[in-house]
Amino acid sequence: MNDQANTKLDFLEKAVLWDKGNTIDAFDDGRVFYHHWGRSINSGDNSLFSALTQMYNPLYLNKEYAKAEGHPGCVVAPLLVFNTVLGMTVEDLSLRGPFVGIKDCKFLSPVYESDTLTCRSAVLNKRYSESKKGAAIVTWKTEGFNQSNELVIEFVRSNFLVM
Amino acid sequence: MSPIYLTTFGEISTASKLKKVIRMSAINKMNERLTGQDNYFENFEVGAVYQHARGKTVTENDAVTICHLVMNSASAHFDDHLMKQMHQKKLAHVGESLVFGGVTISIVIGLSYQDTGEQVIRELSMDNIKLTGPVLHGTTLYSYTEVLSKEDADDDSGVVTFRHYGVDQDKSLVFQGDRTALIRKKQY
Repeated sequence: MNDQANTKLDFLEKAVLWDKGNTIDAFDDGRVFYHHWGRSINSGDNSLFSALTQMYNPLYLNKEYAKAEGHPGCVVAPLLVFNTVLGMTVEDLSLRGPFVGIKDCKFLSPVYESDTLTCRSAVLNKRYSESKKGAAIVTWKTEGFNQSNELVIEFVRSNFLVM
Repeated sequence: MSPIYLTTFGEISTASKLKKVIRMSAINKMNERLTGQDNYFENFEVGAVYQHARGKTVTENDAVTICHLVMNSASAHFDDHLMKQMHQKKLAHVGESLVFGGVTISIVIGLSYQDTGEQVIRELSMDNIKLTGPVLHGTTLYSYTEVLSKEDADDDSGVVTFRHYGVDQDKSLVFQGDRTALIRKKQY
């Protein structure tokens, strides 16, 4: 019985961690990251997010209201655009330490349901910590685009990376 | 008999003015029926501070759903066991998943939105966003808003800058950030 269990768990010993993300030394000034996946925001995404976060403006939840205001359909809640673009940058940029702040976030063009978002970031700055050896505050500028390559959002983010 | 706008605006601008008048009257009708009537551009005074009516306990469902929905792949937001191990090794302040900051920001702004966002024509920008304390599954958030500035933009709208504050059940500040939006005027 014991032998059987040991055989079954052999893979635990053999396994090599297929790690994700970057460490501080990857963030040279000006380096640009084209982030993974892209995301089409469908109407379910927008309704779920807007209702769950109580983003109560009919522009995001009532198609007829949005159309009366001159939009082709519901507007995607700007905070969903922000969260999705931020979300897609996390693996490349910030798996190794907590959020410090966001500045200069601009919503440059409305996003509509079924639009597809992609994003990229450039390293703006890296400042090594005086109090914590080997740690650094890294600052990036992130830009999010729709399927027509139109810039829809941009922001500057800093994280405190510990390795 | 010509309607009054033909003589008032002249022939060239008639089409666009008329289109705008029709569009605005259609919106105004829906807007009056479907939204509150105390949260237009005219209602905001610089320096006013509001406490918003509802609080919200951030459930694991809210936090992890939104985190995955927006494809944030940081394990700290959805792997309790990893966080427990990190905490034991003194690599994390708490031994459980942390709520993704984007969720905290969205819920605090969401709690303010019936007051500060229902008449938004367009969100313009956010700035000076800070997350100043940990938010965990089960933390209750309350939302406060200060009006920083307002400026006339158009016949039908103006630009307002708010400072949003999010506090937890112990009144500790967990989020602060500024938000600027184009807001509808009531009288148009």
